[in-house]
Amino acid sequence: MAGEKLETVEIVKEKGESPNIKNLGDFWNFLKKELVPRGHIATPFNIISLPIMLLGYVFIVLRLAYGLGKPVTNLNQEYPWGLWIGFDVVTGVAFAGGAYVLCFIVYVLRAEKYHPIIRATVLNGFLAYLFYAGAIVLDIGRWWNIYNPMIGNNFGVNAVMFLVAWHFFLYMLAALVEFSPTIAEWLGMKRLRKILGAMTLGAVIFGITLSTLHQSGLGALMMMAKSKIHPLWYTDFIPILYFVSSIFAGLSLVIFEGSISHKVFGHQLDEAHHKHYDDILVGLARICAVTMFGYLFLKAILLVHEHAVPYLNSAMGFWYLFEVIGFILIPCLMFISGAQQKNTATIKFAAILTMVGIILNRLNYTFIVYNWYVPLSEKYWPAPMELIITASIILTEVWVFRWMVNRMPVLRKPPAWAIEKH
Amino acid sequence: MDRRNFLKILGSGVAGAATGNLLTPGRTLAKETPSAKEFYGILVDTTRCIGCRRCELGCAEVNGLPVPDISESKNENLLKTIRKTSDTQYTIINRYETEKGKIFVPKRCMHCNQPGCVAACLVKAMRKRPSGQVTWDLNCIGCRLCMISCPFDIPKFEYNKAIPRIQKCNLCYDRYNNGVLPACVEVCPTQALMFGSRKQILEEGKRRIAANPDKYIEHIYGEYEVGGTSHLYLSSVPFEQIGFRKDLGTVAYPKYSTGFLYAVPFIFVLWPIVMLGINRATKKSKEDEEHHEEKEKH
Amino acid sequence: MEELFTYYDMFATKGVEYLIILAFLIVILAFWKFVNMKPH
Repeated sequence: MAGEKLETVEIVKEKGESPNIKNLGDFWNFLKKELVPRGHIATPFNIISLPIMLLGYVFIVLRLAYGLGKPVTNLNQEYPWGLWIGFDVVTGVAFAGGAYVLCFIVYVLRAEKYHPIIRATVLNGFLAYLFYAGAIVLDIGRWWNIYNPMIGNNFGVNAVMFLVAWHFFLYMLAALVEFSPTIAEWLGMKRLRKILGAMTLGAVIFGITLSTLHQSGLGALMMMAKSKIHPLWYTDFIPILYFVSSIFAGLSLVIFEGSISHKVFGHQLDEAHHKHYDDILVGLARICAVTMFGYLFLKAILLVHEHAVPYLNSAMGFWYLFEVIGFILIPCLMFISGAQQKNTATIKFAAILTMVGIILNRLNYTFIVYNWYVPLSEKYWPAPMELIITASIILTEVWVFRWMVNRMPVLRKPPAWAIEKH
Repeated sequence: MDRRNFLKILGSGVAGAATGNLLTPGRTLAKETPSAKEFYGILVDTTRCIGCRRCELGCAEVNGLPVPDISESKNENLLKTIRKTSDTQYTIINRYETEKGKIFVPKRCMHCNQPGCVAACLVKAMRKRPSGQVTWDLNCIGCRLCMISCPFDIPKFEYNKAIPRIQKCNLCYDRYNNGVLPACVEVCPTQALMFGSRKQILEEGKRRIAANPDKYIEHIYGEYEVGGTSHLYLSSVPFEQIGFRKDLGTVAYPKYSTGFLYAVPFIFVLWPIVMLGINRATKKSKEDEEHHEEKEKH
Repeated sequence: MEELFTYYDMFATKGVEYLIILAFLIVILAFWKFVNMKPH
């Protein structure tokens, strides 16, 4: 829990030497040393984020004590799913998609160019699953039964949710294995590092398969809401749309997160990395642009396939066009122009637009165009406590991310003994 | 169990109601034990319903729900608005102004033949019983996907309880197992509700339509809707006038998730194979070079 | 006629299918090693 900017070069150098951990006692002492905050504590970010986090924790206790409904959330019988599922889980998982896309590019296609950002991305993906998907514990009403789909008495193999639950769980394991070499390097465990490194490709392939299935599975959850979702959004192909959009959603978050990380943790990076970074951004922008280009045509085909064209000329139709043109077409064009002119500012702005579009899209399915015929006055709107708990979870994740990046070789170069050979 | 037997049972139910004892216990369905091979359900004849809300009262008593006030003055007031079932009301009577005057319509779980809620449940807390009832169990984790997947918006969640449940009509499953009629059927004073195997009630519905073609429209709601339901409705006016959705289609709801679910095992086999293949194909020629060198040496 | 009204679980086989996948994932590791064995 350190001030983010004040990780001094000296500490980094000191960290360059790996600890010598021989037994549990050594590990405990090392961990105690690592848990101590570093740098300034009273940074603006800390001062703003800490009260929000603490307030969120208090509200979490309220939610557990009083149930899921008012005053904590505005969920009701018409809108069983709100911000926690729609944003924390469904959108959060889409944003975490960057991890599997980059793993595919780096480990399967062996595009070494993107190797410098793989660790931060995988860590980000893993933490996103841990925290945002973990937020599902708050949202499910009977949370003490959460282990039921895993070791319960009744496996609902007929359910999409059953697969999503299992895939979440297994993917978290796969992402942990993908990231674990970094942890081994942090602890200075050379043999473990070697064993875990050898498991990477298996974990990556398993992880990509799982990601494909649960990214689309989140869309498949809405399949039986056929009578409730507006025909412009409901199609038999929701799972495929979710999968394709998770590619550019994830990469946009990688661009966004990377641009912040580079400011905050920039001193940890060597010059070569800095030089390469713009090149990496341009590459990511190209991938986003091409995927979004394809996604647009999928949308167009489905519009015709589902006989939904006549709905375009209605209030809902304008909302649909707002989403598709404003947050798919425009960022797509911006990615292209940004990549061509090597203008990272344009690329970063396009990434933010894309992320807003993904949030809109996922919230559309969970509550905006879900039950679209319900009058506006009766519609679900997130309650203040819901928003604060969500913010609290995100900020906690950022704190953990910062703690790990400051201590483990995530952005900085791994110790000399562990330089990977490909 | 034939229709005549049923009418007898219904008759005795009315007698029970008339003496003020709404729920006389121990009334048996019939001599035969109910066959587990068939779905049981209720035929609702909306032309017979008088909106007395006794079914609401009977249901609340049996299921331990807050007991509603069903005095006439209260009813008059209450029926002005269209209500929905809730976490404290498994069954509801609504009044609709139609071309044929006021029509009362009881609403509750339709007990679909292929229920969406059952297909959506990841722990099989929602179950379709062999005798047709859709019931809920305590191993539920409270994800509320059943609420999203129900075309009739029936499962309700207790939002204001620390230990919440999903609440919905279970067609008095416990009473069925004891050979007793569902509470709502037993207390109905006008025989607007008829309990029986789906085959029986469907036949009875068709018989009534054939006998009174002017009275009924020629459509039994639930015969084909969402793949068929165990609750069937007769009406004198088109169903959209009495609060039924006509756009639900005849496809069983679980069918909508087959596209994804059937694809999962295929992806699980194909993806690893394809990716291992790509990984092998993009392998730097370093090893190949070594091979070459080795070959040249030999 | 009766057949129409009995429950048919369109996902009844999924459990077994998932077990097959589990077996597949384990076997493919060995299989992949075998395929990539260098010829003697």
